[in-house]
Amino acid sequence: MKSTANHKLLQVIDLKKYYPVTVGLLSRQVGEVRAVDGVSFLMAEGEILGLVGESGCGKSTLGRTILRLEEPSSGKILYKGSDITTLDKERLRALRKEIQIVLQDPDASLDSRMTAGDSIAEPLVVHGVGGDVERNERVAELMKQVGLDPRQANHYPHEFSGGQKQRIGIARALAINPKLIIADEPVSALDVSVQAQILNLMMDIQEEFGLAYLFIAHDLAVIRHMAHRVAIMYLGKIVELADKAEIFAKPMHPYTQALLAAVPSFKTKAKKEVLLSGDVPSPLNPPTGCHFHPRCRKAFKPCSQDEPKLVELSKSHFVSCHLYT
Amino acid sequence: MKYRTAGTSTSIRAGGRLAGYYWQRTRRNKLAIAGLAFIIFLIFLALFGPFFTMDPTEVNFDEKNLPPIGFSIEKSIYDINTDEFTTTIIRGTWKHPLGTDNKGRDLLAMIVSGARISLLVGLIATGMAIILGTIIGVLSAYSGGWVDNALMRFTDIMMTFPFFLLLVLIVFIFGHSLIFIVLAIGLTGWTGTARLIRSESLSLRTREFVTAARAIGASDRRVIFRHLIPNVMSLIIVITTLSIPGVIMAEAALSFIGLGDPTWTSWGIILSAGQHTLDTAWWIAVGPGIMLFLTVLAFNFLGDGLRDAFDPKSKI
Amino acid sequence: MNDTILRTKNLKTYFYTTRGVVKAVNGVNFNLSRGECLCLVGESGCGKSVTALSLLRLLDSPPARIVDGQVSFGDIDLVKCSTRQLRQIRGKDIAMVFQEAQSALNPVLSIGNQIIEQVELHERISQREARARALALLEEMGIPSAERVIDTYPHLLSGGMKQRAMIAMSLSCNPQILIADEPTTAVDVTIQAQILEIFRNLRARKQMSFIFITHDLAIVNEIGDRAVVMYGGRDVETAPVSRIIKNPRHPYTRGLIACLPNMSRSEKRLESIPGNTPNPIELPPGCPFHPRCPKAMDICRRKVPSPTIVAEGHAVSCHLYAS
Repeated sequence: MKSTANHKLLQVIDLKKYYPVTVGLLSRQVGEVRAVDGVSFLMAEGEILGLVGESGCGKSTLGRTILRLEEPSSGKILYKGSDITTLDKERLRALRKEIQIVLQDPDASLDSRMTAGDSIAEPLVVHGVGGDVERNERVAELMKQVGLDPRQANHYPHEFSGGQKQRIGIARALAINPKLIIADEPVSALDVSVQAQILNLMMDIQEEFGLAYLFIAHDLAVIRHMAHRVAIMYLGKIVELADKAEIFAKPMHPYTQALLAAVPSFKTKAKKEVLLSGDVPSPLNPPTGCHFHPRCRKAFKPCSQDEPKLVELSKSHFVSCHLYT
Repeated sequence: MKYRTAGTSTSIRAGGRLAGYYWQRTRRNKLAIAGLAFIIFLIFLALFGPFFTMDPTEVNFDEKNLPPIGFSIEKSIYDINTDEFTTTIIRGTWKHPLGTDNKGRDLLAMIVSGARISLLVGLIATGMAIILGTIIGVLSAYSGGWVDNALMRFTDIMMTFPFFLLLVLIVFIFGHSLIFIVLAIGLTGWTGTARLIRSESLSLRTREFVTAARAIGASDRRVIFRHLIPNVMSLIIVITTLSIPGVIMAEAALSFIGLGDPTWTSWGIILSAGQHTLDTAWWIAVGPGIMLFLTVLAFNFLGDGLRDAFDPKSKI
Repeated sequence: MNDTILRTKNLKTYFYTTRGVVKAVNGVNFNLSRGECLCLVGESGCGKSVTALSLLRLLDSPPARIVDGQVSFGDIDLVKCSTRQLRQIRGKDIAMVFQEAQSALNPVLSIGNQIIEQVELHERISQREARARALALLEEMGIPSAERVIDTYPHLLSGGMKQRAMIAMSLSCNPQILIADEPTTAVDVTIQAQILEIFRNLRARKQMSFIFITHDLAIVNEIGDRAVVMYGGRDVETAPVSRIIKNPRHPYTRGLIACLPNMSRSEKRLESIPGNTPNPIELPPGCPFHPRCPKAMDICRRKVPSPTIVAEGHAVSCHLYAS
C-alpha cells in the first residue's frame, strides 16, 4: 500500500467548473452553479487519493472534469507534466488510454445490449489494439484477473449480479493498461459483503499494476481502508488534504471534525454531540467568504468575508481555514 | 482452452441470446401472444387467402345481398301484376360463407383482399413515418442548439397539419389513388415518433454507459451507432407495433368517407358501402368492422407486451 | 422495559409472480418490548423491508400474500384482523417512516396539511388544534422557521428537512411503535447524524418502541438495543446489540462484521463472504446461508435450523449450536 514513484502524475491547479443557469426562450444566464470552485492538488504515481464529501460538494464533477468529460471553466490540469486542459480531440483520445473511469451504478454503467466481452473489449476496439484473436485472449485474461469466468464473456449484463457487473466495469477500465483510474463511488451501490470483495480486488490490482486511483466516495470507512491520502471537499472546494493516518487522527478543519464525528461508529458506543446543524447549502448560492461559515461552530469575523486559502500547515497536511492562518 | 469470447464476430450469435431473452419475456404475456397469433393469421390470410377465395370483383346480381352461412333473412317482393307481396326466406350458403354485397360480390373474398390492402398500407405508411421520425428525432437530439430547436418547431407545425384536408385537396386535383393515401399518412404521421425518439435519445446520452464509452475514448459516431441506436431500437419496435393500427384505421376512415381508392377493396370501402344497409344487410358492414376491431386489438396487445418486455424495470 | 408489545411469529410473505414464487420473508420471529429499539439488519434481498411492510399489511395483495404467521399487537393479530381494525392502528398506534422522503410525501399537499390529515383521521380535534400540534411537532424535530415550513410543499425543502417532516408526520398521533425503514440511507452523513439524534431523543423522552431497519451495522451499534440479523428471508441471529458486535455466533453475522471497513483502524485486506446473496425465487434448501458458509455441514443442506438459545436473550439459528 505504499506509494511508489515520486514524480507528479496528475496535477490540478485552481480548477473550476461552473454551470450556467439559464432562463427563458433565449437562454439568458441568471446565475451559475459552482460545482468545482478552485481545486488544486497533486497525485503521485501509484498513489490512492481519496476524495470525500457529501452530496453537492462537487467530487463527482471534479472527477469528470479531470477526465475532460466536462469542459473546465478555468484552471489547469497537468498529466505527467504536460497541460491537458485544452487538448484537442486526437490527443485527448490518446490520453484516454492512460486515464480510465469506474462508475457507481453497475446496472447503468454497462450497455445492456452489449455482451460482457464486448464491453470489456471496447477500449481495445476504440484504440485499434490487436485483432480479433488477440482481443479475445485479452478479454479472457482480464476476466480472470477480476475474478470472472471467461466462459461467460458472451453473457449480457442482466445475467450477472451487481458485484459481477462492477467487476466487468473494472476489467473494462484495465483493458488498455491505464496509469490512473478515477473511481466514482465504485462500491456505494453494492451490498456490504460484495463491497468487501470489490475493495480487495481494487487493492490487489493497484498493487500488481502500480495504478493510481482518484477514489471518490462518501463513506469514510471505505476511504479509510483504501486511501493513502485523503482530501475533504465542501461545496466545490478542498477544505483539508492530508495523509490518511494524519487526517483521521488529527482533523483540523471544523468540517472534517464534524464529518468524522457524524459517522456512526462500529466499535465505540460513545454518545457524540452532534456538531453540525442545518443542511448543506446549494452550490447555486454559496455563502460569502468561507463556504462553511454558516454551519461552523468556530466561525469568527473574517470567515464571512474572506475565502480562506489551502495552506500547508505541517508536512503535507493542507487546511483551508482562517483558524490556522 | 480456446475461448470463443469477445469481439464483434461472435456478437451476432450472442445477439440471438438477447433476442431470445426478450422473446421469453414477451411470451409470458398471454394477450401479447394472442395478438401475435392473430397477426400471423392475418399475414397468411393476406398472402395465401386470395388463392382460395373467389374473385372479389366478380359481380353477380342474381346473388346479391345474400346473408352469411347460418343466417337467413326474409325477402319480400312486390308483384305488380298480382298486387301482392310474396315473402321468401333466403338462407346463407357455403358458396358465400360471409354473404354477398349489393352487387353480388363475395364478402369473404372482399375481406381477404382487404386484409392485403390494410397490411400493405399499414406497413408501408408506418415504415415511412417511423424512418422519418427516427432520423429527425436522432438528429435533433444529437445536434442540440438551434438545429434541435428548428426541427422541433417544424415538428410542432406538422403535428397540427390537417392531413385530412391535404388529402381532400390531392384527391380533388389528382383523383383517387391508394398511393396518395399512403403518402399522406406516411408524410404526416412521423411527428409523434420524432418526439419520442428525441426524448429517449436525450435521456440515453446522460446514462452512465454513455459516459463510460466517452471516457474510453469512443468517437461521437461510435457512441451514436454502437450504443445509442441499439438502445433506441427497442423503442422503435414498440412504436412501430403500436402505430400500425392507427394507420390501418386512418386508411379505413379515409376510404369510409369516400376518399379511398375504389379500384381496391379495402375494409374501409366495404364498410362505406355497407353503412346504408345496416338494417337489411348488416353483414356487409359487420364483417370488415370485426376484422378492423380484431386487427387493432391484436397490434395493441402485441405492442404493449413488447414494451413491457423491453423495459428493464418491469418485472416480468 | 420488560413487557412485550409486539410479537412476530413465523411470519411468511410470498410474492406470486409470473416467474415463480418469491419467498421474500420465509419464517421471521422476533419480539419487541416497550421502550426498546429493535434493529432488523441485513443486506439487500434479506426480506427486512418486506417484513416491516407486512407488519402493517401495506403490501399490494396480489402479488404479495402473507401466507403464514402471526403478528400479535396486544390481543389483536395484525395478520388476520379486519381492515377496519388495521386502519385504526395504522398511524395511531403503529406508525411508519420510509426510506425516501421524496416519494413518501405527497407533492401536492403542504407539509402541514399532510400532518393534519393524519391527525384528523384518528382524533376528533378542531382544525386549529391539529395545526397547532403540527407546528409543535415540526419545532420538536428541529426544523427552523416551522411556521413557514408548515405551509411549504415538499419539493421546496431539502432532503434532511423532508426526512424530519416525515418523522414529524409519523409522530402526530403519539404512536406506541415507530417502524423506520432505512430512514437515513438516502441522506448525507451529517444529516444522518442529526436524524439519529432525533431518534435517540424520542426514545429517551417518550418511551416509544422502535423497529429500525438498516443494512448498516454501525447504525445498529449507535442506536439499537437489540438486533435481529436477517438472511434469505429468515432471522438468523437475535441478541442485544453489544453481544452481536462483540460476540457474534452465526457464521453470517461473523462474516458481515468481519468484512466491514473499520473506522478505528485500517487493515491490510478485508475479509469477505464469497458468493452472492440468495435469489428469493430460488432459495437453497435447508439453511439459506449454507452455500456461502465456511462451516457448512451436511445437515445444513437438508434441514432449516431452528433458533437455539445460546445465552440470555441471545438466539442463533444455526446447526453449529443446535443441541
